[in-house]
Amino acid sequence: MAEVLTAALAIAAKDISIELRTKTAFMSALVFAILVLAILFFARDPTAVAAIDVAPGALWVTFTFAAMVGLNRSFLLERENRALEGILLSPIPRSSIFLGKLIGNLAFVFTIELISLPIFMLFYDVAIWSGLPRLLIVMVMTSVAFVSVGTLLSSMVVRTRFAELMLPLLLLPFLVPPVVGAVQVTARIMAERPLNEVAGWLKLLAAFDIVFFILSLMLFEATLEE
Amino acid sequence: MNPRQNAVRLNLKGQLITWVALLGLAGVYVRALAFTPIERTQGPAQKIFYLHAPAAMTALMAFALTGVVSIFYLWLKDRKLDLFAASSAEVGVAFSVVMLTTGPIWGKPIWGTWWSWDARLTSTLFIFLLFVGYLVMRGALEDPRVRAQYSSVIGIMGLLLVPFIHISVYLFRTLHPTPIIAKPSAPSLPQEMLVTLLISALVFLLFYVGFVTQRYSLGLLRELKHEEAARGIS
Amino acid sequence: MRDLSRTFGYRLILDRLNFRVDRGAVLAVMGPNGAGKTTLLRVLSGVLKPTSGSVERSQRIGMVGHHSMLYDALTAAENLAFYCRLFGITDRNRVQEVLDLMGLSRWQHQRVGTFSRGMTQRLAVARALLAEPDLLLLDEPLSSLDEYGVDAVLQLLMRLRDEGTSMVLVGHEVSSVTQLATSIGFLVGGHMDVIEELGGRDGREIAERYREVVRG
Repeated sequence: MAEVLTAALAIAAKDISIELRTKTAFMSALVFAILVLAILFFARDPTAVAAIDVAPGALWVTFTFAAMVGLNRSFLLERENRALEGILLSPIPRSSIFLGKLIGNLAFVFTIELISLPIFMLFYDVAIWSGLPRLLIVMVMTSVAFVSVGTLLSSMVVRTRFAELMLPLLLLPFLVPPVVGAVQVTARIMAERPLNEVAGWLKLLAAFDIVFFILSLMLFEATLEE
Repeated sequence: MNPRQNAVRLNLKGQLITWVALLGLAGVYVRALAFTPIERTQGPAQKIFYLHAPAAMTALMAFALTGVVSIFYLWLKDRKLDLFAASSAEVGVAFSVVMLTTGPIWGKPIWGTWWSWDARLTSTLFIFLLFVGYLVMRGALEDPRVRAQYSSVIGIMGLLLVPFIHISVYLFRTLHPTPIIAKPSAPSLPQEMLVTLLISALVFLLFYVGFVTQRYSLGLLRELKHEEAARGIS
Repeated sequence: MRDLSRTFGYRLILDRLNFRVDRGAVLAVMGPNGAGKTTLLRVLSGVLKPTSGSVERSQRIGMVGHHSMLYDALTAAENLAFYCRLFGITDRNRVQEVLDLMGLSRWQHQRVGTFSRGMTQRLAVARALLAEPDLLLLDEPLSSLDEYGVDAVLQLLMRLRDEGTSMVLVGHEVSSVTQLATSIGFLVGGHMDVIEELGGRDGREIAERYREVVRG
């Protein structure tokens, strides 16, 4: 168990150092997030639709699309110079590779989210201070959901010619349960309504996390074989 | 008999089954239009239900089979299993299109709108889109082994996604109940309608078998052709 | 290795190969381009699985392939440190040792993306040697090296061979191959003929045979 984690952390650390050095994916995702937030703010009739009504949806569309910008880069990295084969030659368990990539992707996505969140609050004039801890928990749960599936899918999609197109195509159906749930819960948090109204969604989110994390982990090895 | 001849015979059997199904479909039309009573609240438009519901059921069954057979592929690695899974997915996609087009055609005269975010339509839409993605990905991968592996992964993930999508749509709708007449697809159907429905379901099942058989056998023939071509080179 | 077969797409690339490589033995695999030599090495390394048949190999394998398997954005030292972590090598000096061995210490803090092909090749060899492997798989390891590099790496490989490391080597230069190899296999059309005990024969005979096979 411990070796799985140490190997995973080694891979995640390597990915993070590389990203810190080049920063291209990160900057693209961040700029993308800010643009989407701004555009969605303007994409309505301000006299008919209040900013706060579109806010939860805007937040989550921004988070997921910005994340997709960054998900492919993780495995694209391993394809140049066939670096993944070097990793496969080492004695580490295959599941560590998935975990390492997942942790790296999660770090990427969380950073984007944490930076976009105050910008969101600024643009949409939503001050979510009291609900912040609960919002952060929802962000973690939802991000784990789509990053697990996204990591698995990107390991396959990088081999095709249209990776940038294929990842959203395949990933979007999987986003429906967690993201729709996240929007519902976020809306309640922003309206400062009690969360037991959305207990069903929270349970769905948790169940999705567990099922798809384990499933993605198990199926990952199948994507490595040739 | 060599594999090529077997595949051709299988294809012919598939075509035969499809023709029988076509006849069956004609029979269903006759029965639905002439011998089944008109539904009281919805009028003649309701009759499209006899196409819509079986298409939906068969599509869902097709996708479920793709998922289950994918599990077997990952276990047994027999490429024929992958071929079957892909054929089933294609037929599922086709039937989903039928369901997604008959739904609005049915809905417009009754609800006044073409599309309503009705639970079943919405769920089917997302699963349909996932399997379209499945087919697109298959098209982008040339190596048959990699294609089979990756398809199985998507198939299994899709299979497990279905319940989550259903629950999501259900939760969404209970939060936002819409004042729409519920579809009379509950089993409180009068006898004659039920019979028509069942016959139609059987016909669609026959179509499924016919189409999948044809698709599968064509796939076998294509594999054989590739193998022969490759042997010719080396 | 027993009855090893491997298909690529629909083509049978390796057809029921059978051979073994003992300690301190070096098998050189030669053959025309596209014969499947690289595929053979990849199956031996475990990256590819055979379509049928089996491979028995030791755990500690080092491989130098056509691609460097290195990260361009990281420095030479960082790349090696990463692989040390993957192989569970805790000795902090190992990276330095291996860099010195391959004559790369001067550039250890430079990003691999800036390296010349020859330097990348040497670093790839360094990476393969990190875990002190029993078996080395080398796919044209001398191809991008200058004369000095070829000499140095060849000497190193011969020393490793004498110390007991087994190797399977793919190469085209007959002269270097004959110095290093203890047996030669000619891979053509999915089949391989192995000539054991090179002892007496000289380079010219092998070169002749090679030319025959390639023209074949």
